[in-house]
Amino acid sequence: MDIKTEIRKSWIIMIKEFKQILRKKAFMIPLFLFPIVMIIFFGYGMGGTVKNVDILVINDDTGTASSALVQEIGTFIPKYGDVKMFSIIYTKDMGQSEAEKKIDAGLYKAVLIIPPDYSERVARNESVTLTLLTDSSDTTSSGIIISFMKQLFAGTSGSLVTLNIPDIYGKLQYIDFLTPAVIALTVFIGTIQTMGYAIAGERQDGTLVRIMMTPVSRGAVILGKTLHQLILQLARAVVLIIGAILLLGVKMNGSWLLVALVLIIFTFGAVGLGIAISAVSEDMISFQAISMLVAFPSMFATGVFYPLSSVPDWMRWIAYIVPLTYANDAMRTIMVKGQGLAFIANDLMILLFFAIFYFGLGVYLFRREAA
Amino acid sequence: MEPIIEVRNLSKVFKSRGRRITAVDDVSFDVFNGEIFSMIGPNGAGKSTTFAMMTTLIKPTGGKIKVAGFDAENEDDRIRPIIGIVPQKLSLYPDLTARENLELMGNLYDVPKKVMEERIEYYLKLVNLENHADRFTGGFSGGMKQRLSVISAVIHDPQIIFWDEPTTGLDPQTRQAIWKLARKFNSEGKTLIFSTHYMDEADKLCDRVAVMNAGKLMALDTPENLKKTTNSATLEDVFIHLTGEEIRD
Ligand SMILES: Nc1ncnc2c1ncn2[C@@H]1O[C@H](COP(=O)(O)OP(=O)(O)OP(=O)(O)O)[C@@H](O)[C@H]1O
Ligand SMILES: [Mg+2]
Repeated sequence: MDIKTEIRKSWIIMIKEFKQILRKKAFMIPLFLFPIVMIIFFGYGMGGTVKNVDILVINDDTGTASSALVQEIGTFIPKYGDVKMFSIIYTKDMGQSEAEKKIDAGLYKAVLIIPPDYSERVARNESVTLTLLTDSSDTTSSGIIISFMKQLFAGTSGSLVTLNIPDIYGKLQYIDFLTPAVIALTVFIGTIQTMGYAIAGERQDGTLVRIMMTPVSRGAVILGKTLHQLILQLARAVVLIIGAILLLGVKMNGSWLLVALVLIIFTFGAVGLGIAISAVSEDMISFQAISMLVAFPSMFATGVFYPLSSVPDWMRWIAYIVPLTYANDAMRTIMVKGQGLAFIANDLMILLFFAIFYFGLGVYLFRREAA
Repeated sequence: MEPIIEVRNLSKVFKSRGRRITAVDDVSFDVFNGEIFSMIGPNGAGKSTTFAMMTTLIKPTGGKIKVAGFDAENEDDRIRPIIGIVPQKLSLYPDLTARENLELMGNLYDVPKKVMEERIEYYLKLVNLENHADRFTGGFSGGMKQRLSVISAVIHDPQIIFWDEPTTGLDPQTRQAIWKLARKFNSEGKTLIFSTHYMDEADKLCDRVAVMNAGKLMALDTPENLKKTTNSATLEDVFIHLTGEEIRD
């Protein structure tokens, strides 16, 4: 069959999918409400702690007084923890704007700038100001780092040392950290679920086989269902982001186009995963069970609700193999940090890899099914 | 008479959970153009599997099928547009209306919009569903669903119609209505192939009857000849004679 026919047929399938889903009120309403509820409840109800946070210390101090200070930061272990809070990387002669770029790129959670005259002034008992830049797009880590630093300086060198803490992303709250990831999470879970209805559910109804008997290729069926998902999930993300901005005052500092790009690639992967799960599950019930198994690690191991820097190592390793981790990071980099393509290129590459892998797997399993 | 379907040494082996199930075992037969052809046989005899291969839904493990001169394995895109299928398992979208279900089929078969609308009106009337056109089929009775299913298989005016147990579970009125439809389609020159567990149906309606048992074709002839050669009074006796009395799994 030629490409035009394929596209026309997949269009027919897509329209059908929309007709069906728009009628499922009991499905559509939670689809939009659930994420908002999640943002509100978690957004106003959670905190956390951090460990082994990468912090850059730009030590321009010409004397030696700063080394005691730095040592104290580097060896600090929180009261109930067993791991050092910071892992320090040193440098010299770096301007504040360059330091901010390092934070934009996600290399460090914080940068502490010690001025050249630090030792001199401390020796002369004069006041001195240090600059602390934090990645406030990660509100939890940033809050913890700031309160630690404040305590440290209040304790050690008397009240003469003050801390200058510029807000590099504007005043942010936990909810700003949470929202981009909740959007990614709900797109992920929503896609897998609706794909389940669209394939495992249709198979149970016998309609999938009926469609397969008509002059329509399997490719066109998948394409139609995929187009439907892409449009549905993008529309949903836009509604949710606007809702979060208007209702909850969440910040949107970056480009809508980039958000769309991330979500399109991400949805492709989720569609593939949904098809793959559908293909290996015999009915809707087993589909639900398997998709839960996939959804839960994604929900809790990928730093949707708390920064990855605060989870145990084994959980972080799970996070690295779950695509949602990279979608979360890309969404936060765009929406909170307001950064462009260059800063999410790595995430996009990894998401693209996942998308191709899962989509290929899904199509393969789907094609193999009736043979 | 010229054959419109040629089945040669057809077999299908399913592998499920390490077990090999021979659903169809070296079956050969012809279906003639314009006849009403039926397949009977106990549960699990392989009727639906044979249908699935003739309609290009699944590929044979061995053997060849030609439908209207096209090879079922490699030319499915030529075969599909000219056949209509009523599957054994009801397969309507419960959350689409009767009309939308028909339109979906029409669109997938590339029926021009105007022709399609006309046919939909015509067929809905023919099976007395014109007053239910805009209801969701989820709320239809079994008979209504089956009637709709039957007309959704002919919306593209196919040359050959496959019906897998179109009358199972239906009341006598609906069965008669479906027989009437079958005769009507046949009188228009269409070839009909259907399976059934009702012997009277096969007897009354069909030109020729194929009897399958455990994947094998036991006999194929007109109902009269079958009765004659097996010395039976009814087709039911023929059936028992050819397939035995034991109950299948
Ligand atoms: N997809 C499949 N996988 C494994 N075995 C199958 C599959 N489809 C059919 N079978 C087996 O093949 C055999 C023939 O089944 P088929 O459905 O063709 O019989 P049938 O004659 O249509 O029976 P019925 O009258 O009950 O509809 C059965 O033993 C069945 O269990
Ligand atoms: Mg059957």
